[in-house]
Amino acid sequence: MEIIGPVLVSGITTGALYALATLGLSLVWGSLGMLNMAHGTLLTIGGYAAFTAASQLGLPVPLAVLAAVIVGGLIGALIFVLVAYPLSRRSPETFETTIMIATFGVALTLENTVLRLYGGQPLGQPLSVPGAISLGAFVLPWQNLIIIVSAIALMGATALFLTRTKMGRAIRATAQNPDAAKLMGVPVAQVYLQVLILSGMLAGVCGVLVSSITQLSPSLGADPMLKAFIMCVVAGLGNLPGAIITSFGLAIVEALVQFLAGARWGFPALLAIVILVLIRRPGGLFGRVDVRRL
Amino acid sequence: MLTSLNNGARAAGGPIKIGSALPMSGFAAADGVEFKNGLTLAAEEINAAGGILGRPIQIEIEDTKEMGADIVTQAMQRLIDRHSATAIINGYNVGTNMVEMDVAADNDVIFVHYNTLISHNTKFLSDPQRYYSCFQGDPPEFYYGPGFLLFLKSLIDSKQWNPPNKKIAIIPSANEYSIVIANAIRDRLKEFGFELGLYETVPFPTNQWGPTLAKLRQDPPAAIAVTHFLPQDLAQFMTQFLPEPTQSLVYMQYGPSLPAFREIGKEAINGVIYSTVIGCLPDDFSATYRKTYREKFGANSAYITGSQTYDGLWHYALSASIAGGAGESGNKEQTHKVSEAMKRLIYRGVNGIYHADPKGQSAYCYPTQIKDPSLGMAHQFLQHQDYRTDPKLIAPPLYATDTMKLPPWIKV
Repeated sequence: MEIIGPVLVSGITTGALYALATLGLSLVWGSLGMLNMAHGTLLTIGGYAAFTAASQLGLPVPLAVLAAVIVGGLIGALIFVLVAYPLSRRSPETFETTIMIATFGVALTLENTVLRLYGGQPLGQPLSVPGAISLGAFVLPWQNLIIIVSAIALMGATALFLTRTKMGRAIRATAQNPDAAKLMGVPVAQVYLQVLILSGMLAGVCGVLVSSITQLSPSLGADPMLKAFIMCVVAGLGNLPGAIITSFGLAIVEALVQFLAGARWGFPALLAIVILVLIRRPGGLFGRVDVRRL
Repeated sequence: MLTSLNNGARAAGGPIKIGSALPMSGFAAADGVEFKNGLTLAAEEINAAGGILGRPIQIEIEDTKEMGADIVTQAMQRLIDRHSATAIINGYNVGTNMVEMDVAADNDVIFVHYNTLISHNTKFLSDPQRYYSCFQGDPPEFYYGPGFLLFLKSLIDSKQWNPPNKKIAIIPSANEYSIVIANAIRDRLKEFGFELGLYETVPFPTNQWGPTLAKLRQDPPAAIAVTHFLPQDLAQFMTQFLPEPTQSLVYMQYGPSLPAFREIGKEAINGVIYSTVIGCLPDDFSATYRKTYREKFGANSAYITGSQTYDGLWHYALSASIAGGAGESGNKEQTHKVSEAMKRLIYRGVNGIYHADPKGQSAYCYPTQIKDPSLGMAHQFLQHQDYRTDPKLIAPPLYATDTMKLPPWIKV
């Protein structure tokens, strides 16, 4: 346990971060059919928003995290109003393609804005807690514990929101069949806006958590975005519980491969799993082709 | 010197365009910005001294983003075609396989860079006539290897360190630079009385060190040499290492010289030893440069990075003046003359001495490659003894300002 413990801690922590990043991406993908290429940049902006609030404005930790949530949600809303909505109205038949390109442009713009505002030097996220809990030979850093607990709490809250609230039910109904939802009186455009705001808020917090264990840099969100995309594909597009299970499972596999075979084999192992899964189950482990579910 | 060369000189023509292909965005943007700063400062000083025989210098930048051979080649070609650059002075670009040298050779422009690669020397030696205009402004990364082992040996001989065993763990990342250094250490371990504990290649970039640290804890070595170089990742290594440290010296290279390492790692970095084959020396000679740089670009700016292109441009400007001018872009005859002047001129900059090794046209490395300090760039060993202050220069003895202190995690 002395040796394998840190490997599992690393895997579970990474899994929690992957799951949180995947949750936001999968939510938008599943409900709007929109692969938001700017999702990673929303993580970056969330991290910088918390940094600005805590370091430059001197706000306490809860308010700094709240700042990340608000900024993430706000940019999510702007992406919908300025990009997604106009594109879906003008060319609904090509929306799934055009929105990828458009949000990629948004990502580049936002990333370079961060570079202009904060410079390229990596910065330390002040919202990180030093030290560790020792349980005999097993050592669990506080920061890892905070990340795991926060991510699980946020995923639980999102699940409750989607299943127990009127707004959540509207989102699920729209994801399953937008036309039927519209006929039933669900304001679909408003639902889409809510989904992007929720996704942005989750990305904002995720950015704070990722940067607390790495660093702040304009390209902070690129790696979580790539991993979230992999998790979404392996789990099945738009399947939230599947995406979360896949995130934890693959992150632990990645950590174990890194320990047993060598650190450089972790990512290739993930890619090999993606290929194998797609050959055996083209719709993903938990997905069904052409069916979107939340 | 430049002012006296310029005295009365009034060469015809407009500004001399100096190009630079730098990573101004992407993961190395922090260094790209500093490289640009170094060029800007040097250009201002050179222009204040009359430029190159009366012609002012103008800097043109092209972004190499995430770098790689294709992007860097295109950026360099744009500098030549669009901006008519007569010389290209880069910082570093990763993953290029030194293809920049072909662009410089095909277009007859002076090319100075700080990729810090032995492959520069190899390529130069493959056809010295073709690559006559290509200079590496610092020693190749290879010298980190023997230099590190020489340093450890000196710590043991001077009884500053009593290693618990003879094992050295080597942790490179998956890029040419890191791997060449790691192999240079591994291949000469026995010569210095050490043995290999662990050789673990990590992805580039990387910040999750858990599985690698678990391996280190399985078989604790006397020293850990992390040859990955990104400061943020190295700071994370220390943060994740300290909850369960092994009784090992921790050595890194280059990354800990950057402000980001201290900013992110804070007290976790105290005790880390690192080295760099190029860096602004903390001596009186560079004091004005350091002060001006921080005043101009901010207290957190990394003058140690900007100093590379700063020296590169000064060396070029002096050489071009000695050679009778920069000439226009693609003027092979004049480029040859400038290249010859760059080889002959032993330039003392803020990083120390640039003296071109004819077997590769890179800087000589002191003391590993050349024993005369007036002819080689010092391979500096530094230690972070208090993250709130500048690191201490602990070797080579000629330049050292302090001695090594055992890291706080090592129990005597």
